[in-house]
Amino acid sequence: MQTIAIIGASGNMGSAISRGLAKGNYRLLLCANDLDKVQTVADEIKSSHPGAEVAVSDCSRDASWEADIIIAVVPYAAEQEVAEKIKDVANQKIVISIANPLNDTYDGLVTAPETSAAEELQKLLPNAKVVKAFNTTFAADFATPVIDGKQADAFVAGDDQEALQTVVELVETVGFNPIVAGGLSVSGTLERMQLLLIQLNMKNGYNWLAGWKILHH
Amino acid sequence: MYNLFFQNLNSKVQLTEEEQEQIKTYLTLKKLRKKQYLLQEGDVCKVIAFVEKGALRAYSVDENSNEHIIQFGLEGWTISDLYSFLTGEPATYNIDALEDSELVIISKSAHEELLQTMPKYETFTRLNITGAYLAMQRRLTSIISASVEERYQDFINLYPHIAQRVPQHMIASYMGLTPETLSRIRKRISSK
Repeated sequence: MQTIAIIGASGNMGSAISRGLAKGNYRLLLCANDLDKVQTVADEIKSSHPGAEVAVSDCSRDASWEADIIIAVVPYAAEQEVAEKIKDVANQKIVISIANPLNDTYDGLVTAPETSAAEELQKLLPNAKVVKAFNTTFAADFATPVIDGKQADAFVAGDDQEALQTVVELVETVGFNPIVAGGLSVSGTLERMQLLLIQLNMKNGYNWLAGWKILHH
Repeated sequence: MYNLFFQNLNSKVQLTEEEQEQIKTYLTLKKLRKKQYLLQEGDVCKVIAFVEKGALRAYSVDENSNEHIIQFGLEGWTISDLYSFLTGEPATYNIDALEDSELVIISKSAHEELLQTMPKYETFTRLNITGAYLAMQRRLTSIISASVEERYQDFINLYPHIAQRVPQHMIASYMGLTPETLSRIRKRISSK
């Protein structure tokens, strides 16, 4: 059984991902600075999924050391700090980047056009297998992956084929339809897709329950 | 985190600082808590684990759910299901932690890349496999030809640190004996 460390598991997105992954055969290691808060999330998961293996930690380094897969549910601004803490223990492991590097006014990205939050994380963790995932879905989508009768797509991007396959399985476990978008350099496009979805959400009042769906024959 | 691993490596093939740093980029550091699995029967074994701290065991389970311990892995040892690792066939062993453990793991892809690119790593691997072969031959000979008392005595002499750390019923399992038989043998030896 693989151990997944979710760094930032007490927040909206972190707890949504944790709850989603509790449906699968994984051992979850929920990590957050506020141990009481993350324990509440763990207790909730245990009561709704009695068979789930869940533990908590307030140390991102120890959690990553124990993990096979690391999900960094932290804002782009905090990526560097987390990367420094987990650098050597993330070696050769899958690290999932979910961050969208939005600016304060939600009308643009803070990253340069030729890069992305995921690629910047890869630079900080050169020996990890960084994969972009779970960035084009809102937190509420995890509880409702089928919206208006249609299963939301979730895009995955990365350079390591084996790591991509593993993350595709995580996406399926949560309940989204996985689509491998390409190499890690596609991440910038995926991050901009979420920028657009956030803008449309605010403009049209989707109530933070919306997602992407590719129509095809 | 990998002091013992590099000590072990350097005792067999002297590495430069640079080579050490190069190898580091291929290593996965992993902590296992007591009773957690490194490998479960039926999965393909994709790793070789070096025990930096703690203790593990590799075992198979027979039709009657009896566990047979194949190998222990204590500090400074490597543990894996080499058959599965080398052939890509499903593992017949389970490997779990007897204590909270810290491992230095080399994945199959990292192992193959290092073999290709670093002759010293290849030498290290050859020496490891030679050592494992010798240990296996010694164990096989002892099972075939020695009395159980001799085997137990040999085990204690060869691996005194295992005997001190691992529960007796596991040593019995490793020797292919029931715990009761092992207990009788120990009494006989101590009364001599």
